[in-house]
Amino acid sequence: MNYVETLINGILLGGLYGILGLGLALVFGVMRVINVAHGEFIVGSAFSALMITSFFPGIDPLIAVIPVAAAAFVVGYLFQTILLNKVVRSGDMLAPMLVTFGVSIVVRNLMLAEFGSNPMALDAGRLAQMSFAVMGIHIGVLPLMTLAISIVLFGLLQYMINRTSFGQTVRATADNPDIVRLMGVDPRRIYAVVMGLAFVMASVAGVLLAMRTSFSASSGVDRILIAFEVVVLGGLGSFWGALIAGVLLGVVQLMSFQFDANSGLLYAHLLFLAFLIVRPNGLLGAK
Amino acid sequence: MTSNLARAIPFILFVTFLCAAPFLFDDGTLHLATEMFVVIVIASMWNFLAGYAGLMSLGHQMYFGAGGYVLFMFANVTGLHPYVGILAAFGFGALAAAVVAPILFRLRDAYFAIASWVVAEAVSIAVQKTDALGGITGVSLVDSSSIDFDRFETQMFLIGGGMVLATLLGFVWLLRSKPGLAFMCVRDNELAAKSIGIDVWPSRFLAYVLSAAGCAAAGAVSLLGGLVVQPGNAFSPDWTVIMTFVVVVGGIGTLEGPILGTIIYYILRQLLTVVFPLSGTWYLVAMGSVAVATMLYSPKGLWPILRDRVGLDWLTVRRSI
Repeated sequence: MNYVETLINGILLGGLYGILGLGLALVFGVMRVINVAHGEFIVGSAFSALMITSFFPGIDPLIAVIPVAAAAFVVGYLFQTILLNKVVRSGDMLAPMLVTFGVSIVVRNLMLAEFGSNPMALDAGRLAQMSFAVMGIHIGVLPLMTLAISIVLFGLLQYMINRTSFGQTVRATADNPDIVRLMGVDPRRIYAVVMGLAFVMASVAGVLLAMRTSFSASSGVDRILIAFEVVVLGGLGSFWGALIAGVLLGVVQLMSFQFDANSGLLYAHLLFLAFLIVRPNGLLGAK
Repeated sequence: MTSNLARAIPFILFVTFLCAAPFLFDDGTLHLATEMFVVIVIASMWNFLAGYAGLMSLGHQMYFGAGGYVLFMFANVTGLHPYVGILAAFGFGALAAAVVAPILFRLRDAYFAIASWVVAEAVSIAVQKTDALGGITGVSLVDSSSIDFDRFETQMFLIGGGMVLATLLGFVWLLRSKPGLAFMCVRDNELAAKSIGIDVWPSRFLAYVLSAAGCAAAGAVSLLGGLVVQPGNAFSPDWTVIMTFVVVVGGIGTLEGPILGTIIYYILRQLLTVVFPLSGTWYLVAMGSVAVATMLYSPKGLWPILRDRVGLDWLTVRRSI
């Protein structure tokens, strides 16, 4: 019974992991940049939500997500416009990655200076304890809601990229940024909007994750590594693959706690490395 | 053109400095100098991998920390002098890298970078959970009687200085040799390199193994200086952060870059922790900002600018016709 519950919780956690990876995958798909600072911005949005809930006591963290996500869009847009657009078209992948690496260190240490290194948690209030039982298995309402939010976000992004004219522009920019210029599209603006959207994903996932597990100024490392593993395991550029990979990692992490309590993300990392050996193109990736 | 004699002058000055410094400076200063030597060595190793072989690793703290563990475990198990453990660390680093490389090499570019970070995290967690390696408290010397504490800082200073010399001369020699040419060829254009018959895989493999071994040896020296190895410090991602920033600011793909970068790093660090006593996080904020600014406005780093201004080309591996 215990294992079934763990399995279900792993699946629910995995939805969140999928969202962590989704923002990273979106940015990589469109501009071939791995944003190493993704993890720091995930933690940063958790801190923002924490500040909002302490300014307005009694406010539900799920409502605090809305202003945090809006701010995240602006920050992402500016981050791309001011910093990344200067290096993103230089041809190699390492220059933009080094810039985001530098930014991640600056942001992490600013958070350390401001908030210290103690673990903190977002109080989800009554929602944290609410659960219901199905055939004797306890399922938390909050984890279920986060999975639902994850799936909605996945669907929305999928719809936007594949069905809307904005999505068409984004795909065209990803294919060939030079040709879209001829059609009157400024790739740098598209990049900025995409980065803003990725930050929205990161912020929603960051706040939801902070409601479940404690976080600290240096949690960004764990977050970015999970996000990255989701992207690679899911197969580069595959949205649904990312969701499945997230679920796999979530299940492995929670299952491993059953026999090895304080192993953190060790087994998730080992799973990733094992996959790297047997199936380097990911679960759904092309051969 | 700078003549060979002129190129040798900085080396002669450095050796003179190494000989004279123990008589001129106190232990604290020597300790600081040893730390700087360690940073020059690890940054040079990272630079060799990223700037000459085109592989960016974000997981090199794993070899740095492993070097420390090998030194302490080796000394405790064999009873030999800890200094011998530096060689053991070098050997172990090479061996470990030779095992890890085939897995990491399945990924390219940015993916290689983050996957190497994943390996380092997994190793760090695994070591913290291993009781034989002291768990989270780490390992210290069981018998420290072999260390002569009156001369310890002097000896460490000389070992560190010797490592800097070996690193610089070794890289000058290697990069001017045929395998060195192959590295740069692969970095600049993999396809062209293949077409003229360069085997890309062994070339990258050699660079990865050598840089890992160097980091392990430097880690052994650095952690022996503290007389204890703890996983939190030994496997801290900050080591790789330092390597990266020092190289980026100093000048990636130049042998002088890591030296210049190390000097700038220590000036910033001493300024922000000693002169303006701020908490330890602020100098990393400053160094990160300097690194980001360098990448945006002068992606080649500061040494090439200085070199062209002053017109001195010290450790060049460029060929001129």
